Amino acid sequence: MELDVRDVHLHFGGIRALNGVSFTVRGPELIGLIGPNGAGKTTLTNVISGVYKPSKGAVYLNGERISGLPPYHIARRGIGRTFQVTRAFRRMTVLENMLVPAMALHPAGRRQEFVERAHEILRFLTMDHLALEYARSLSGGQQKLLELGRLLMLDPDVIILDEPFAGVHPKLRETIWEFITTVHQQGKAFIIISHDMETIFTLSQRLLVLNFGQLIADGPPEQVKEDPAVIEAYLGKEDE
Amino acid sequence: MKHVDWRWVLTGSALALAVSAPFLLSGYPYWLHVAIVAYFYAILASSWSLLAGHAGQFSFAHMAFMAIGAYGSGLMGKYWGTSPLTGIVLSTVLAGLVGLIIGVLCLRLKGAYLALFTIAFSEVLRLTLNAELDITGGPNGLDLPPLLATTSRVPYYYLMLTLLLVSLGFMYWLAGSRFGLFFRSIREDEEAAAAMGVHIVRYKVLAFVITAMIAGLAGGVEAHYIGLITPNILILGQMSIVIAMAVIGGIESLLGAAIGAILIQFSLELLRELGNWRLVAFGLLLMLTLRFARNGLIYPLIERLVLYQARRAVIEGREQKAKQAGEGA
Ligand SMILES: Nc1ncnc2c1ncn2[C@@H]1O[C@H](COP(=O)(O)OP(=O)(O)OP(=O)(O)O)[C@@H](O)[C@H]1O
Ligand SMILES: [Mg+2]
Repeated sequence: MELDVRDVHLHFGGIRALNGVSFTVRGPELIGLIGPNGAGKTTLTNVISGVYKPSKGAVYLNGERISGLPPYHIARRGIGRTFQVTRAFRRMTVLENMLVPAMALHPAGRRQEFVERAHEILRFLTMDHLALEYARSLSGGQQKLLELGRLLMLDPDVIILDEPFAGVHPKLRETIWEFITTVHQQGKAFIIISHDMETIFTLSQRLLVLNFGQLIADGPPEQVKEDPAVIEAYLGKEDE
Repeated sequence: MKHVDWRWVLTGSALALAVSAPFLLSGYPYWLHVAIVAYFYAILASSWSLLAGHAGQFSFAHMAFMAIGAYGSGLMGKYWGTSPLTGIVLSTVLAGLVGLIIGVLCLRLKGAYLALFTIAFSEVLRLTLNAELDITGGPNGLDLPPLLATTSRVPYYYLMLTLLLVSLGFMYWLAGSRFGLFFRSIREDEEAAAAMGVHIVRYKVLAFVITAMIAGLAGGVEAHYIGLITPNILILGQMSIVIAMAVIGGIESLLGAAIGAILIQFSLELLRELGNWRLVAFGLLLMLTLRFARNGLIYPLIERLVLYQARRAVIEGREQKAKQAGEGA
């Protein structure tokens, strides 16, 4: 698997949300994506997943250009993402939430097989007992877990998580952490957006730092931590 | 002790009542007519609830698709000499085609914008039908030949009942399949559905096409039964009645919407003496439903019945397990 983001620009009117972003994900890397508020992290996610078409540049998956394809197509190609604000299908049961991506991916597949796989994943997330509850009756944290579970049903090669640790209890943070490392070991690439510095520095193997729509650092966390540009533009700002 | 499954008892009795109605009402042809019209509205309300309640497309164009079925068949007969049956089949396809166009045009419209767009479409159609005196008969309407060679209402009754049951059966199958799953995911969150691989364009348009065809089919049959169709069927008030029927029955429930439509159509006839006050009462009922019973009035009853059975099954299963565990120990 190779995801290649090549010189991506995106302007909203006068706002340059992304200004020439390039990086390549080769194989099952575990990447952290950080940057101040408004740096363009969510926008980058939206470009990769096809919500926005870059005004310049392109995204390639395994050598094929995917920017310009509709989001559902990119999802089926193997790029799964969550949203910064949880977006479970609220008036559908947890199980139905899980079935949507599976049946979208394999229209001819057997429902019973998907149901079994869904229960397996839900057990892993310790929420199998909630399978028949409406998603809207779940707590915020449980809805976050549901989104992760639902994503696994899509069986993507690249998983982009937009702030999975925001507003979660330390115990749930453990569960999500475990989810990420386990799924990563199964050979999936992750791009994880987070403002939780401690978590992201420990968890990720490689860090990307975005600032004003530009990548200002890309490397192992220890190295990025020392990078003067990062300290000035990002960490320094936090100390103010 | 064997437990009585009330769902089947109720479904069976309702069906038996529906099938025997022509005999029970043999001295009251007017009430048989009311029943036919009630089934017609039941088809409209339930197919609208599939579009709005399941797929989340709050369209006001449903009566327009119905009218395309009716006028389509009438005009094809008038100009091409097609038989009523051929006319109904062709105009059902035509309604589907127009549904496709409206569906595509509405792809980027949501909520209030979709509602306004579909209202505008209905009005354009109504005003056109009104204006084209020579072709459509204008406000006086268009005469249609009867579909069946009979003066009796009974065959029409069974025809409309069959149409209702078949379309409900089809829609339930659809709602239970992956189509229904995708419809509801689109209703809940289009962007999230797309991120989960759902081809939202295809399924949104499909929801429009299917429900437009069902409405068109019902419109064609009804118009040939009545023998006349006028543009008045397209006034906003008529569409509101269909919506109100579905909302009072339960917008997310196909059966709830159908039952709601039948009960309301009969109540409106029973209360005819009240004149326009019955519509006032109906409006108040709608307001109360919206405020206090968001799932409608019929759907919760159906759901309770189904849930009751499901819970019993779970409890019985648990008891059995406990028993087995007890025996094993
Ligand atoms: N749909 C849009 N229309 C106009 N401007 C937008 C849109 N989406 C994002 N922006 C702008 O693009 C810039 C980047 O926003 P983005 O949401 O990507 O930031 P972020 O890095 O995810 O921030 P945060 O950490 O707060 O989530 C911001 O200036 C934002 O106002
Ligand atoms: Mg963001």
